[in-house]
Amino acid sequence: MKRFLMSVVVAATAAVPVFGQKIPVVEKELPNGFKLLLVERHEEPRIAGGWVAHVGSANERPGITGIAHLFEHMMFKGTPTLGTTDPKRDLEIINEQEKIRELIRQEESKMRTALRRGEVTDITSPEARTDRYRELEQEFKRLLDEQRKLLVKNEFDRIYTTAGATKMNAFTTEDMTGYFIEVPSNKLELWCWMESERLLRPVFREFYAERDVVFEERRMRTESTPTGKFAEQFNALFWDAHPYNWPVIGWPSDIPAISKKQADEFYGLYYQPQNITLILVGDFKPDQAEKLVGEYFGRIPKGNQPPPEVTTLEIQSSAEKRYNAEAEVNPQVDILWRTVAFGHKDSYVLEVVEQLLNGRTGRLYKGLVLGRQVATDAGAASRPMKWAGMFNASAEAKDGKSLDEVEQAVYAEIEKLATEPIPADELQKVKNNFAAAEYRRLTTTFGMLYQIIFSEGMGDWREINESGPRIQAVTQEDIQRVTKKYFTKENRAVAHFTRKAGTGGAAGEDADLAGLAADQKPMARQFTKRIAETTDAAQLKAMLAGIQGQPAGTDPKRQQLQKIIVRKLESRIAELEKK
Amino acid sequence: MKALALSLLTLATAASGVLAEIPDRPEKLSFSALSYDPPKPADYRVQLKAGPVAYIATDRALPLVTISVMVRCGAYLEPEGKEGLADFTGHLLVRGGIASKSAEELEERLAFLAAGLSSGIGDDSGSVSLNLLSKDLPEGLALLREALTAPRFQKDKFDLHREQSIQGMKQRNDDSGSIQAMEAERLAYGTNFWASRISTEKSLKSLSVDDLKAYHQKWFHPANFVVSASGDFDRDELIAKLETLFANWPFTGEKAPPVPANPTMAAGGVYLVDKDVNQGRVSVMLPGVKRDDPDFPAITVMNDILGGGGFTSRLMNRVRSDEGLAYGAGSSFPGGVHYARAFQAGLSTKSRTVAYATRIVLDEMNRIANTPVTDEEINTAKRSFVDSFPGTFNTKAKIAGQFATDEFTGRFAKDPEYWSKWRSRIETVSKDDVLRVAKQHLHPDKAVILVVGQKEEILKGHPDHPVKLEQLASGKVTQLPLRDPLTQEPVK
Repeated sequence: MKRFLMSVVVAATAAVPVFGQKIPVVEKELPNGFKLLLVERHEEPRIAGGWVAHVGSANERPGITGIAHLFEHMMFKGTPTLGTTDPKRDLEIINEQEKIRELIRQEESKMRTALRRGEVTDITSPEARTDRYRELEQEFKRLLDEQRKLLVKNEFDRIYTTAGATKMNAFTTEDMTGYFIEVPSNKLELWCWMESERLLRPVFREFYAERDVVFEERRMRTESTPTGKFAEQFNALFWDAHPYNWPVIGWPSDIPAISKKQADEFYGLYYQPQNITLILVGDFKPDQAEKLVGEYFGRIPKGNQPPPEVTTLEIQSSAEKRYNAEAEVNPQVDILWRTVAFGHKDSYVLEVVEQLLNGRTGRLYKGLVLGRQVATDAGAASRPMKWAGMFNASAEAKDGKSLDEVEQAVYAEIEKLATEPIPADELQKVKNNFAAAEYRRLTTTFGMLYQIIFSEGMGDWREINESGPRIQAVTQEDIQRVTKKYFTKENRAVAHFTRKAGTGGAAGEDADLAGLAADQKPMARQFTKRIAETTDAAQLKAMLAGIQGQPAGTDPKRQQLQKIIVRKLESRIAELEKK
Repeated sequence: MKALALSLLTLATAASGVLAEIPDRPEKLSFSALSYDPPKPADYRVQLKAGPVAYIATDRALPLVTISVMVRCGAYLEPEGKEGLADFTGHLLVRGGIASKSAEELEERLAFLAAGLSSGIGDDSGSVSLNLLSKDLPEGLALLREALTAPRFQKDKFDLHREQSIQGMKQRNDDSGSIQAMEAERLAYGTNFWASRISTEKSLKSLSVDDLKAYHQKWFHPANFVVSASGDFDRDELIAKLETLFANWPFTGEKAPPVPANPTMAAGGVYLVDKDVNQGRVSVMLPGVKRDDPDFPAITVMNDILGGGGFTSRLMNRVRSDEGLAYGAGSSFPGGVHYARAFQAGLSTKSRTVAYATRIVLDEMNRIANTPVTDEEINTAKRSFVDSFPGTFNTKAKIAGQFATDEFTGRFAKDPEYWSKWRSRIETVSKDDVLRVAKQHLHPDKAVILVVGQKEEILKGHPDHPVKLEQLASGKVTQLPLRDPLTQEPVK
């Protein structure tokens, strides 16, 4: 009873922020189609300005994956008057460069043919370039050298930096491309000038060097990290029909094939005013800001036709998917379920489910790390996106625990949510944290801008004010209904990561395998893992009989391997039969 | 006001379809003056009777309070062989339960209140921080007092943290960035310097709950504390609460000794760690300075032009924008508090262009040390620092936090006017100063160059750029072994 009373008291006080701390956004629309969102905030003499283009990798197609992100990079390259001392010659050079690039593309086509025919094995190494290709590259470089004499390097950035602006950056997701910066409060007009100029007449100079930069970004984030390549492949496995199945950064063969012409077309289609929302938060007077914005951004002509929306709906999944990877990571399980899009009525329930599972007092940590002691860490994340959504749970296995055990423990926790009542104070704890977050998010001007960009990019800025009350209204019945509905076997993809042989240090090694030759260890580890993860004793007995039925041969190395596997099988069978 | 008048005028003409008033270059815009005075430490500083100095910044905008206690201690006080002791004590101070509550009960209560209570100990400082709704402040302060005076260091939580730490340790060589960070530290400061020593499975297994208790009782007492507080409270009432928080400390400890400051940098040359990733990571290092060096403002401006200033810096322009060789390229010249922190320039690029991109970095270091920077470059750097300065104190939490840190590190005692003078110190840096400090500190021929990546591919170089790793710096390439993540012993 006492506990109940306390919940009510806290709930009563916690209810204040939810309904009292709305972010006061003023929404306007410009005649040419731009949406404008303004939030006055005078706590610091700064203005955070940004805009979001409603385009992301989901709007791409095979062959130009990565273009939304590459395009984001190109938006910093200047305008006819920013970035060059001779706009006329600069444009001429760009056009001449394109002609050579077209010839280079023909060479690349030949190289791809040679690859398909097996005449070469790698068209990305510098040695794979044809003689003609190198010639063309030299011609291209001559033009580049001429252009460089006219270039004013990164002038777009220099002007902002010299004006005391900070945090200039941009990001691309599956759903949106956001651009943002913070300027001193007396520089609002500079922001209007810079942003409207680059939207009105961008110049995509240094396109091909920037394409290389993006490929280095791909190497940095995806190819040379322990999990990047695997995460990309697992994601591609998860989505069937939906364009979410390719990576935002783009497939490695697509990035170097994107042409400037394609970027121009992309700009024409997706960077029309009616596809862009402008956002200002900070130390300004809204009527003044609106006038300035109208004056500068009003110059940009309205587009001819609205950009196409993503119409592909994900198909109903009819089977569970499984992914097994050996990587330089601790053994872990990663599970994805298909859920709902941003703003869906069940998305608020899934946010609550996430928080019931997450954190040191969440059910995954308490259930897997502290209770069953099968994992050293565990967490969950609900990820509704603009067109569709997913829910993720992951856990790192404790030494000696199988990934099957860890996976089953995750399901057990979710099953409990679906079938057993949730204590009132546990649900209240989660809601209290959502309520307090309504305050914490208001601490800085820049932080508020970022939230509005994100919410608007997902589909509707109003969610920043409307999701709070909806989360507070979530009931236990909602949680049970939603958990039963989405966390099904057919709806999920499961990844098992095991540690790649020879990594993770000496203690990572199974002592039984110590005597084996290096080339035998990977196979022995695979066997050991499969044995440890098998829960059916009969199946193991069949394997054992199969091995014992084989002649051991005379190779002592092979005999040794066989002996170890037999020992592993026997001990696992004994373990299972004891249970 | 002038800007406004201009805008209104342009708007009027815009309506009639004439847009001649929007200039073709942003320099033609004019802006009203913006004056800004930084907050003064004296307005926030309170010497508590109970011992610590506190910086208190009231902020009634939101019903939140943050209180942070900085503690003079750190990994530098770990006995050799007990590496990890500071981290364990810091982590478990709050996570291991307190006198009146088990770890589980404390976690549940904090979660229910949506309160954060966290603790940690780093290289040369520790901190215990509370962030919560102001209505819960009395209860939060009681919990904070218990965490500071009577942590339980529950054995099961100690065992769990050890298990998790060893699990985490196994990942030390998984990411090339983590290898780079560990090796850079050893090369820059020497394997015998305290800051380069890292925990091993063995050192963690030698720790006991009693070690943690002893470490805590030795260093966690008011004479080693500096406090910052910001948020929704009445200043005088909060002072009274802080007096109670720190009164009648149940034990007396020791005053923390100075941080040892005797690092030694490795001999110049290239050091290569072979790691199978298709992008090589490069760090170019040279001995640096302490932040109270009289040249530090000039060094800061110089580094901004070289590689600290992002897209306006030379390294970014050359390595990224011109050549498309890297996503990021830059440099840092941090200025140490206790000892000279190393200069470091870095980039990541595909294996075949590692040598070429590194050559560009060295060339740029040479250039800035031998040719004056341009007026435009120094102007950009100075305007950027000066006009973005208000960001240093843009929240009350940052005001209290920055001043408390200055008190803690001794900057306030030594240079109480530091922030009020900061902009004029930057403004007075000249092109000659930039050239002088670059010449004094940047010696590419003596640089220690760390490369982590595919050895074979990196050594091949690139046919279009005839530069080899062996030709960089002093010409010597030393291969560093990968170290076992758990023992730190070299792996064959």
